[in-house]
Amino acid sequence: MSTSGEQDNGLVCFTNCFLPLEDGTLVERDLWIDAEKGVILDAQRTFYTGRRRPKKVIDLQGNILSPGFIDVQINGAYGFDFSIYDGDDDKYEAGLKMVAERIVETGVTSLLPTVITQERSLYPKLLSLLHPHSFPSSANLLGWHAEGPFLQGSKRGAHAQSFLVNAPAGLKSIEEVYGKDNLAAGEDNSVRVITAAPELEGLMESIGPLSEQGVIFSIGHSTASSRVATAAVRCGARLVTHLFNAMPQLHHRDPSIIGLLGAGGPHSSSLPPTPSHSKKSSLSLVSGALSAKSVRGGGTEALTEGPSAFGTPGGSASPMGANAKSDLHAQIVALGESLEGREAFQRPYYGIIVDGIHSHPNSVRLAYTAHPEGCILVTDAMAMLDPHLPDGVHEWRDGKRLVKNGERLFIEGTDTLAGSVVTMDTCVRKFKVFTSTSIGQAILCATYNPAKCLGIENKKGTLRGNADADFVVLSHEGKVLSTWVAGREVWKKA
Amino acid sequence: MRLIIRNDAAEVGEYIGNYIAKRINTFKPTAEKPFVLGLPTGSSPIPTYKHLIGLVKAGKLSFKHVITFNMDEYVGLPEDHPESYHTFMFRELFSHIDIDPANVHILNGNAPDLIAECKAYEEAITKVGGIEFFLAGIGEDGHIAFNEPGSSLVSKTRIKTLAYDTILANARFFNNDISLVPRMALTVGVATVLAAREVAVVVTGQRKSLALSKAIEEGVNHLTTLSALQMHPWALIVADEDATAELHVKTVKYFKSIERVQEEVEETQARINGQVGGD
Repeated sequence: MSTSGEQDNGLVCFTNCFLPLEDGTLVERDLWIDAEKGVILDAQRTFYTGRRRPKKVIDLQGNILSPGFIDVQINGAYGFDFSIYDGDDDKYEAGLKMVAERIVETGVTSLLPTVITQERSLYPKLLSLLHPHSFPSSANLLGWHAEGPFLQGSKRGAHAQSFLVNAPAGLKSIEEVYGKDNLAAGEDNSVRVITAAPELEGLMESIGPLSEQGVIFSIGHSTASSRVATAAVRCGARLVTHLFNAMPQLHHRDPSIIGLLGAGGPHSSSLPPTPSHSKKSSLSLVSGALSAKSVRGGGTEALTEGPSAFGTPGGSASPMGANAKSDLHAQIVALGESLEGREAFQRPYYGIIVDGIHSHPNSVRLAYTAHPEGCILVTDAMAMLDPHLPDGVHEWRDGKRLVKNGERLFIEGTDTLAGSVVTMDTCVRKFKVFTSTSIGQAILCATYNPAKCLGIENKKGTLRGNADADFVVLSHEGKVLSTWVAGREVWKKA
Repeated sequence: MRLIIRNDAAEVGEYIGNYIAKRINTFKPTAEKPFVLGLPTGSSPIPTYKHLIGLVKAGKLSFKHVITFNMDEYVGLPEDHPESYHTFMFRELFSHIDIDPANVHILNGNAPDLIAECKAYEEAITKVGGIEFFLAGIGEDGHIAFNEPGSSLVSKTRIKTLAYDTILANARFFNNDISLVPRMALTVGVATVLAAREVAVVVTGQRKSLALSKAIEEGVNHLTTLSALQMHPWALIVADEDATAELHVKTVKYFKSIERVQEEVEETQARINGQVGGD
């Protein structure tokens, strides 16, 4: 890179570069930023109205100037685990800072620290520590992603069975676990994502109220049937957590959560999974209790009046079984279905781990082909994530050791995968290969799509004027050459 | 008047781009003595702008002390509309060259008082000592800037209602919906262009050939406003082969024969003045 120009006026022009646009194309165009304010400029307005043009010009030598990557699911990195808090706030804060400073080498400029299922009393404190952070010269921490504890036992994966709960009092139960203040939309614009199983008691009715306060409900670790999953989306769920993992596999008669990627056709949710549970009959069950008005406003009251005997989170529920079990469940599904027709069905976004291990390349291609605009690359990386960590045996916890072999991480002496250690830039490159798509389209899945899902696409994941000047400079093969946060270079390839 | 003929639009752009660069470099502009350049929009000048950008990037030309005045702008179209001439100029030229934004002048089609805006524009041109070099293109009906057929040949900057032909031609930029095409524009007048010390016009494509013929082979006529160029002491038209389709063979041969002579005259003149002309 070379710079030129006389005295600095705080504006910078990136030139000789390709910009990935929001439609996935790459265009050769300059980009102007205000490096002091750390924002991207509307160049034409700056020129004509501001009567200014950048004095400093940076030649990117034909490489790609992409918005910085956004990782909405990452459990830790460089030895620090976002889920481990030993009572020392300063230590935890230092861990956050260390990850934020180092992760930029993978092209990530914004991340959502993800907390796996904890003992419930830990949440209020832990989530309060995960308010948005902007350390100097490091990636932005956007808020938190709570994966659990409202998870389906039979799909809990590595989450501790004993910590799983359901929400008998609906939203109130959920607020008790996470802390009401943590869930509320604060002035800090904290991003809040909850991964939960909508079929659990008290969850479906809480999706609407949670969404209204800006919490993103992500369906995951769940056995939801197609009808339940569709109803959850109609209630406001906008994301699916690590697609294909911790959910029923695609069954053609009831494609469950994965089937949401094919939803939205004229038949949409109205196709019943079994003849005995047609939409008509389930609607009639609640036609008295649920008027259209009560659904919009306090519709949840009608549901909580019903019998509290409800599917336990213990894990016995099967996709079909859950539906057949109680009238109340049918009512909940009907709650979602009664919202049908108000507006076009919006398929949810889906996070997908593209390390080539957690999802087969063909599965990645299948999902992307079905719903390209919804695709969000996530690393779901564990604390072991560190691109500098050599292959071999590494100490873990509880005296166990892990064997790292490329992107594969096994518990020593077993063939059990211990989680992901893939970096986001690797995901982008693999994704491009697996789906035979262009680098521009692959970039969208790590930038604009997650930003849209989180509702921050005016500030992050975009090159629009007034957005934050967070960038990753990539070669056309997707290798990270430099990373920029708020208009400043924070990492450069040696 | 001279007519330079090149094979195609790209060669025309290269010729006129080099020509402008030579003028600016010979002028040796400074902050105290800037070079004042008039500029058009439309498809014709794009190859010229491309060539100028290349010269700036190669360090052979600088717009640091160049002041520009654009010919025209639509009335009522937002400045950042994709079809506004502000957008065009930023996209096709200004964003790529080292021009000072304070030196750029484009008529404001959203000014509350359009007449005052036009008056101020003429005054601004006068204030910087008039336009040294005006580059122009033409419409299929031979209009120069938005001086449609029937415009006064002594007109100055003013509001113009666009001719139906022009609205139809522009509809392709507005979803082919003529109701979306602006009906009015602010434009420099024919006299504003003719007041420049040198005028060069780019004419490319067969669709412009009849207009070119009328402008240079017939008399001065307000129905082909470009024809007023015949009254200018130092005018140049650069056309591609396609645009000469309606010209007489004799006309083409004549202008081709004088091209070399003109170059020789300029070279001799440069030697006498002790200048190293050219780029």
